[in-house]
Amino acid sequence: MGIKDVFKSASKPVREIDSERLVDRFAELRLQPLGELEARDRTKVCGEVKRMTIKPRSGIPSTEIVINDGTGDATVIFSGRRHVAGIEHGHCIVIEGVAFADANRLVFLNPAYSLLPMGEG
Amino acid sequence: MATQTGSNPIKRFFIGKPIPTSDDQHQRLSKKIALPVFASDAISSTAYATEEILIVFLSLGAVGMVAYSMLVPISLIVIALLTIVVMSYRQTIFAYPSGGGSYIVSKENLGEYPGLVAGASLLIDYVLTVCVSVAGGVAAIISAFNGLAPHRVQICIGFILLMMVANLRGLKESGALFAPPTYLYVISLITLIVVGLYRVFVQHLAPIEHTGEAKHLLEMQGSITVFYFLKAFSSGAVALTGVEAVSNGVPAFKKPESKNASITLIWMAVILGSCFFGLSILAQHLQPVKDHEGIIPNTVLAQLAEQVYGGRNIFFFITQFATFAILILAANTSYADFPRLGSLIAKDNYLPRQFMNRGDRLVYSNGVIFLSVASIGLIVAFKGLISALIPLYAVGVFTGFTLSQAGMCVHHYKHREKSWKLHILINGIGSVTTFFVAGIFVVVKFTDGAWIPAILIPIMMVGFKGIHRHYTRVRGFLAPKEGYKAPFRTHTVVVLVGSVNQGVLQAVRYAQSLRPDKLIALSVIENSDDRARLDEQWDKFGLSIELDTIVSEYRDLTEPILNRINEIDNMYNDDLITVIIPEFVTSIRSQWLHNQSALAIKARLLFRPNTVVTSVPIVIP
Repeated sequence: MGIKDVFKSASKPVREIDSERLVDRFAELRLQPLGELEARDRTKVCGEVKRMTIKPRSGIPSTEIVINDGTGDATVIFSGRRHVAGIEHGHCIVIEGVAFADANRLVFLNPAYSLLPMGEG
Repeated sequence: MATQTGSNPIKRFFIGKPIPTSDDQHQRLSKKIALPVFASDAISSTAYATEEILIVFLSLGAVGMVAYSMLVPISLIVIALLTIVVMSYRQTIFAYPSGGGSYIVSKENLGEYPGLVAGASLLIDYVLTVCVSVAGGVAAIISAFNGLAPHRVQICIGFILLMMVANLRGLKESGALFAPPTYLYVISLITLIVVGLYRVFVQHLAPIEHTGEAKHLLEMQGSITVFYFLKAFSSGAVALTGVEAVSNGVPAFKKPESKNASITLIWMAVILGSCFFGLSILAQHLQPVKDHEGIIPNTVLAQLAEQVYGGRNIFFFITQFATFAILILAANTSYADFPRLGSLIAKDNYLPRQFMNRGDRLVYSNGVIFLSVASIGLIVAFKGLISALIPLYAVGVFTGFTLSQAGMCVHHYKHREKSWKLHILINGIGSVTTFFVAGIFVVVKFTDGAWIPAILIPIMMVGFKGIHRHYTRVRGFLAPKEGYKAPFRTHTVVVLVGSVNQGVLQAVRYAQSLRPDKLIALSVIENSDDRARLDEQWDKFGLSIELDTIVSEYRDLTEPILNRINEIDNMYNDDLITVIIPEFVTSIRSQWLHNQSALAIKARLLFRPNTVVTSVPIVIP
């Protein structure tokens, strides 16, 4: 590593470091990268749970999560639930379904999901 | 729920009770009082002008005894210069009865850039006036008490701080304060000259006998070159500094202002000229010696007084004390002029607005503080020695003279009052002469320190212009156009939440009362247990707003919050984000235990566009 690279890596934002980590982690699954995801295609994607939002909408709560695989992110909504078993911050999940575009994000509504084991690709 | 607004007891002790703006009134001065108030700066320079001429010849030029034959010719040239400058300023007094400082005169008549040059050079010179005068005053004390010599710098700084506090208290240019020391100095100086000349010419008093370094300097056998002659002349010309003070202060005179001011100006010139001339004759016969590094502790004035009065008796000490007092007063005139000029320049948007702020006691506090800090810096850098500071000094004064006289020429040409051609001639001579003198200063003393103002003035100009550009741009941006209406914007409120506590509940309630378009609670958590606990409590207290949780993978709190706020901001184009931070307010003793992260977040959000940051305080008694 040349001296230039040292400076480059020193000035890299934390966000980029995290993205690189995630890309490495999901590389061998060979799923659709979120950065290239199009609306209305049946697809299979994966990502790490970055954010969880609980919307207490007058008696009918919903849980909204944002997953990121290092190339981009997508929103997953589980309606009617305050909690989805196994879904926690930092966990990795695989989502199968069709995304639709909402404002400037892509949303999966109640998709099929499977959990990836912790600490593995 | 009103809480008492505090008053800082420390500030109150030093600065005193606040004065209401309505008490701001100008006192009118009679000629007898105005003379000491405005002339102390100019007259005080007699205390060191002769000495500086001698230092150039004896210490720098190493010419030996020949130096004394040059004193009278040089002082005659300086007096001629003084006459020219005073004649010119007399006209300014009549043309600008509302007070015509160099800055105003050159800005009005010559335009922006000359005005700024005048402003910059005057600001520099006011700082130097403080330095040179304080250093001179302290030199007078040291001459009386030689043991204090090692503490020169500390004593100088002490006096500057004292003056700073006194001026922050609003030390008015009151005659009661200025008159006694100035008159005491003038009387003691005239007594010294008269008694001295009597003893020299009638009683044939012998020259001072020197030993050591002084004797060594006198034994030098150099010849006087044109260069050293000009250098000595420019040192002597510092006697003219402060002459412009009268014309700045015309409105302070009793009616008829201009007439009284011009008479005072003449008085001042006569006193200054005759004292300077008298001292030069005396010095020529008594041959005092001074070096430029302060090895010889006694000032020329002290050496003369000691020889004339025959030792260190009461007359000697009175002379030293009067010298010290007038020099401190001279320094103090800068404390009136610098902040005033600073505020004028700031009013024209060339200096930060802070220079226009008047403190509790109706003085331009920031100007006073800035002047003190700058002077202390210079005193430390030049070890409190006058002769080190002199080359920096007076360049600015003469630049100011030149520009203001040139401005007066333009003024006469524009207005064409009675005998305007004669007036142009007088001001023209003044302008050209002072221009040449300023040129001589820069050339002969360039390496000694005249380069500092020569470089500093352009730098300050660039600074002035930059500040002006900024203020103009901001004003242009802020000015509402015809029929402007503030737009409605999508309002998103983000409440930052650590855990559920009273402060957070109050903050959420407050956020709801704002009725935003979107309301989000945002929490940065460490692990999923935290999330579960937060979620449970959220439900328990029936909080019906959306709760965002993000995990901070890298343990940083600020970065994830900012990223999330950016995301929210990206959802709409016309939005305004309010970030609500619940804060505990405890006592001053324990406040530092809290809110460190809140502070960091606030600091980061300060420069974010379209972002409002609100703290919801919960007071913990």
